[in-house]
Amino acid sequence: MTTELAIRAQFLTKRYGATIAVAGIDLAIPRGGFFGLLGPNGAGKTSTIHMLSTLLRPTSGEAWVAGYAVNGQSLAVRGSIGVVFQDPALDRSLSAAENLRFAGRLNDLSRAEIHRRSTELLELFGLSEQRDVPVASLSGGMRRALDIARGVIHQPRILFLDEPTIGLDVPNRRAIWRHIARLRAELGMTVFLTTHYLEEAIDCDQVAFLSSGRVVREGPPRTLVEQLCRNILEVETDQPAQLAEQLEPRLGAALIEGESLQFRCDSDPVELGSLQAELASKAKAVRWRRPNLNDVFLWVNRPPASQKRRAA
Amino acid sequence: MIAAARPILAVLEREVIKLLRQRWRLLSSMVRPMLWLLVIGAGFAATQGRSGSGNYQTFLVPGVLGMTLLFGAMLAALSTVYDKESGVMRMLIIAPIERYCIAIAKALAAMLSALIQALMLLVLLSALGYVSSQLSIPLLVLGLLGTALVCASLGMLVAAWSRTLENYAGMMNLVIFPVFFLSGSLYPVHQLPLPLQIVASLNPYTYGVDLLRHASIAGPAAASAADFAMGRDLIVVIGFSAAALIVAGLRFSRDAVSEPLVHRLAQNR
Repeated sequence: MTTELAIRAQFLTKRYGATIAVAGIDLAIPRGGFFGLLGPNGAGKTSTIHMLSTLLRPTSGEAWVAGYAVNGQSLAVRGSIGVVFQDPALDRSLSAAENLRFAGRLNDLSRAEIHRRSTELLELFGLSEQRDVPVASLSGGMRRALDIARGVIHQPRILFLDEPTIGLDVPNRRAIWRHIARLRAELGMTVFLTTHYLEEAIDCDQVAFLSSGRVVREGPPRTLVEQLCRNILEVETDQPAQLAEQLEPRLGAALIEGESLQFRCDSDPVELGSLQAELASKAKAVRWRRPNLNDVFLWVNRPPASQKRRAA
Repeated sequence: MIAAARPILAVLEREVIKLLRQRWRLLSSMVRPMLWLLVIGAGFAATQGRSGSGNYQTFLVPGVLGMTLLFGAMLAALSTVYDKESGVMRMLIIAPIERYCIAIAKALAAMLSALIQALMLLVLLSALGYVSSQLSIPLLVLGLLGTALVCASLGMLVAAWSRTLENYAGMMNLVIFPVFFLSGSLYPVHQLPLPLQIVASLNPYTYGVDLLRHASIAGPAAASAADFAMGRDLIVVIGFSAAALIVAGLRFSRDAVSEPLVHRLAQNR
């Protein structure tokens, strides 16, 4: 069974002293899959990637990557994967092409192979003109693109991307997603992604929400969004708790996020005008919108009503 | 190890590219020994009241050659600490090679970097007439390799235990200078006061420099100034280096090295 899956984990756990970073997660990711591990900072995403890529030893549990056990077959695992860390794994003093050559040689590629693949990858990522430019002189977006090229120069079967778009502006984030889509289309590699920009994971085949080291919800992202509701009613107000109490009998459970009060609505929306008139004195704005993955995560992690009231 | 030949060569190649790009580093590796030889060598000779500074300077030639190897290899080996902080160590730890190979590769790169600098100094020394035609080339090669090996191994041992670059600056003063001054580089060990003699005999670098003395770089008089038998030099050099590299390699193989590294990388944002 392990050979059919690109990644399998059973009760994978990581503790740092008394802190539990990853609290026994199970994973089953098929070959060629596009998997997103989602959650806020500190949820345990990076620790999970580091365990799967043999950089951290699991405290307990077991995982198989490309059919090899992370405990005991670490060289075979590292030979089958590419990892793009949150911080670039590049030598700032070397040029783009020299970095790719260094990474290629570390992965035991011949000079000819390295030359061919680095030319292709620089072309694919729009970096051909930056070939001989030192990494220190590249922009943040170019550096991230080069780092991804570095991670796939040896054509790994599985690519781990830890927050590939963190710290980038919107055009660069889009460019990075285009690169990843091309890599999947052209090389057919399995991609394991973490991100806390949840909306970016909508194209994944499968996502899992991680909270305090546990998987709290998983499934295909569009299905998760559809299952949440058809529409979200969002009320902007400085009295969210009061309004929640007033509207909950009619609109169902409320979610309070700062000054925003949200309801899930599956039926046809209540006439927006009448609600606006009703809330005129208390609400700054009332609007309907489509739910997204962010909403799924917020509703999964919604505090129980009693706590919510006290917090508000 | 054989499977790791290409990765090791990659680390060596990177070291050479970087060395040749850092002109200031090459220049300072030439200026430092020349200052010792020409300024301090002449000054010491004058205070000793010897007729002509030639004798002490002749004695000093293997010492300054050793100095270039010591600084070259130690700085290159200690750059491992910098690699841990920059992205390079991430590339190394994710590569499909055993972790101890990283320590071996870095040690070999440090040796190579030091030897390139020592050869440049040798060219300079011979242009200035400090290299005797009677030198023994096989012994010189042995001395250069042995000293570079000792210094690179010592550097890897220190690098395996240091975490940050602040340590790295401290290492310069706490490791490199004591190793240099408490050796036979500047004075014959047997003429030192007993406590210093003991310390110098415990310093593995002393035996590397002593090997260089056996090569008669500046003439046969210099070879007679060697403190120890060549066999003893070789045993200490090889024994120490092997032990240091095994310990550094084990240290690199343990999770303890990469774990705080990746953990810190994950937290610092």
